[in-house]
Amino acid sequence: MFRFLFLCSALLLLSCPAHAETVFNAKHFTLENGMDVVLIENHRVPIITHMIWYKVGAADEPSGQSGIAHFLEHLMFKGSGDLKPGEFSKTISALGGRDNAFTSQDYTAYFQMIAAEHLETVMKMEAGRMNGLKPPLSEVESEHKVVIEERRQNIENNPRRHFFETMQAALFPNHPYGTPVIGWMSEMQAMTWEQAYAFYDKWYAPNNAILVVSGDVTLEELKPLAEKIYGVLPRENVPVRKRNIIPPLKGEIKLTFESEDIHQRTITRMYRVPSHRTENRTDSLALELLTEILGGDSTTRLYKKLVVEDAKAATIQLSYDPASYDDSTLWLHATPLDNVSAEELEAAIDEILTDFIKKGPTEQELTEAQNRMENAAIFARDSVTGPAMAFGYTLATGGTIDDVEYWPDQIKLITTEQIQNVAERFLDPAQKGDGHMVTGYMFPKTTTNHKNSKNREAQ
Amino acid sequence: MIRKIIPVFFLPFFLLLFLQPVHALAKDSFLSIESLTSPGGITFWYVEDRSVPIIAMSFAFKGAGTKNDPEDKQGLVRLASNTMDEGAGDLDSQAFQKALSDHSITLRFDASRDNFSGTLRTLKKNQDKAYALLTLALTSPRFDPAPLDRMKNANLARIKTSMAEPDWISARLVNDLAYENEPYALNSGGTLSSLPRITPADLKAYHKDYITKDRLVIGLTGDLSKKEAEEAVDRIFAQLPKTGAPKTGSDFTMKNPSITALYKKDIPQTLVHIVLPGIRQDDPDYYPFLVMNQIFGSGGFGSRLMEEVREKRGLTYGIYSNLSRMDHTQTFNISASTRNDQYEEMMRLVKKEMLKIKSTPVSDKELKDAKAYLTGSFPLSLSSTAQIASVLLGLQLDHLPINYLDHRTENINAVTKDDIMRIAARILKEDTLLTVLVGAPENVKTDKIIEVLPNVN
Repeated sequence: MFRFLFLCSALLLLSCPAHAETVFNAKHFTLENGMDVVLIENHRVPIITHMIWYKVGAADEPSGQSGIAHFLEHLMFKGSGDLKPGEFSKTISALGGRDNAFTSQDYTAYFQMIAAEHLETVMKMEAGRMNGLKPPLSEVESEHKVVIEERRQNIENNPRRHFFETMQAALFPNHPYGTPVIGWMSEMQAMTWEQAYAFYDKWYAPNNAILVVSGDVTLEELKPLAEKIYGVLPRENVPVRKRNIIPPLKGEIKLTFESEDIHQRTITRMYRVPSHRTENRTDSLALELLTEILGGDSTTRLYKKLVVEDAKAATIQLSYDPASYDDSTLWLHATPLDNVSAEELEAAIDEILTDFIKKGPTEQELTEAQNRMENAAIFARDSVTGPAMAFGYTLATGGTIDDVEYWPDQIKLITTEQIQNVAERFLDPAQKGDGHMVTGYMFPKTTTNHKNSKNREAQ
Repeated sequence: MIRKIIPVFFLPFFLLLFLQPVHALAKDSFLSIESLTSPGGITFWYVEDRSVPIIAMSFAFKGAGTKNDPEDKQGLVRLASNTMDEGAGDLDSQAFQKALSDHSITLRFDASRDNFSGTLRTLKKNQDKAYALLTLALTSPRFDPAPLDRMKNANLARIKTSMAEPDWISARLVNDLAYENEPYALNSGGTLSSLPRITPADLKAYHKDYITKDRLVIGLTGDLSKKEAEEAVDRIFAQLPKTGAPKTGSDFTMKNPSITALYKKDIPQTLVHIVLPGIRQDDPDYYPFLVMNQIFGSGGFGSRLMEEVREKRGLTYGIYSNLSRMDHTQTFNISASTRNDQYEEMMRLVKKEMLKIKSTPVSDKELKDAKAYLTGSFPLSLSSTAQIASVLLGLQLDHLPINYLDHRTENINAVTKDDIMRIAARILKEDTLLTVLVGAPENVKTDKIIEVLPNVN
């Protein structure tokens, strides 16, 4: 589906970057106007993925204008340069390509996948909308309705997603990550073209953009094109990103959502933890390993203990995305078995965490996790778009090319003590009272006369 | 096993872009496919590709899919796919999973309505281990009670979680109505009461009857030679029994045309799903259909439905049409969500577009652009080893000749405006829509109000 929100970046789109020496052997240069260019050559099939990443996202919106970054992303398809509304995507499609865009808290990216011979055409079109956005007002109006329908479809029609949005708001008080990328409905309804244009004017510039090209093109071919097409765009003054600080908090944050629409009890924890940028870089690497060791697959600690050995949970998952400009979120999502209370399952989870904090991972667990991640880096090369994504979200959130290229080497340097240390600092069940974690419970609500009561089983 | 169930929050529409259906598109063949027959007599399709030190295999057992589930044991074949990698031979569930994990081998079994399928992806350096584990899983799965219980529990949790999702609810209704009284109507993921009934003995019987060589189709690609490929195929599949259960099932046409069914739900949008009889891949008008559908609604931006309903009027975030092809029936589907009070207008527009494409020739530009996309975009789905293996399997499951990709372009380019009007008139019958609604639509005339979701409890 098109022009969607990019709710979670790294986790699903490709396994991970990296492997000994360099993973992708990417080439890098910077144009005179300050625009960074990354090329990952891959000559397997005569296609390319072309992406422009702007280092701006929903978290950079002015207060009270939530949704404007994503609305702007939609408007970027509604007329620019010589292109009429809708012509961008239609042109790509008529050349046998696909295009799309996505907005996250920290970046906004536009991409095309197409036969390599059309690279220059695509570059010209993309460069044309870096400065020349001019949608007719009638198009702005209809697209305004579209993004509102998008929120209805993806959030308000779906009680679970609506609840996750509420949890996120509780985890990031006084910080823009607490505001959903798509925006709050009341603020979305008030969005205007003037606001969208002001945001565009302020942030969209070559020196605030990264060009990532992956596929069947060489550096010798790409560089002159990039200089000719993007290099001529003027450098602009772009503000420094400045986000509010999350104040120290007191108390354990628990949210309960009881509804007739919910039929399965679930427990979701969101921990606010460092990203690859916010603390010492080793913290985020240690957190990646922690996630792999505790929740990597069905043979790692959480699943093995809670699902296999003790039969308390039907499912358990752990996920963490290091690529975030400010603090990131580590997710834990568990489904208790019908005969197990939420309290009992939480106590069992906390016991595992406490034990892990006390003893740390074993050397064997660490080595096995490192090997899996090293292998994942080889698999990551088996893709055209995947590597482009990895460089895009890493660079757009304050990481470096080396963070991607030497990721397996960096992972190999992490010790059991470092992992134990991040576990203690960020996941300690004894420290629940400082507001760095939100627990969300979804529970069915049983009523006697609801029309669907037959569909629901007693909990 | 069931891999992580990703929290719904993470479900990206994004993936749709990368997981193009195999039969979607095509261009000239830089894919040099060979049909090989192993010394053990197993025929498979193969592409050598040394780009990365990776080997990928996709295989299927034709007709062994969830359509074989007994009604009181819906979900049996799905559970078989969840448990075949949960212990085999001397390895119990954890030992088997650990062996996969330690060698970074991805082994996955899946069940569609028609077929039972699997994928294997491994680094070349671990290929021996990968073949050994797959062989064990296929020839001597254990179906131990404990992992079976875990997979049942995960499926029960999935069903109860999904009950909050309008699109899942819609799918239950569509299947029940469009395939009424046919095996396809059942819930391939099982029901809350059927899953607990399934025993290890059921799974063993299924395995014996359906995981057989006469049903086998294989696509293999990556960093291996022809000889290595033939040896691998023999090693993995040669020991399987030649035959098992007889092939079953007969063709039928979609049920319940001209019905509007509503499942009332207190949500701001109505989810609309329209179903009509579709078209077979071997139909002489299949290519005209592809081009017509690209122009009408499958093409995303630029297609008429998206232009009229989203781009001009902002009534929806997305509207798409697509063809669902199964062995015994084919349906043409249109789906979208819109605010409850806009439902009537959206339906009016959809019907108007149906009439228009039947009665007025498409423009030169529409015809040209649709053909260019259909012929030009195929290579985009060949960018990874696993995608190539999947294409090799998909072509065979569709009974297509090995040179199919060479002729696809000319077949598409031969389509005329008259062809499009003819196939549109045959498919887009606006008076006989099966319309399934979830939500609280205003101004709707319904023939049927659904109170209890079928095949859930």
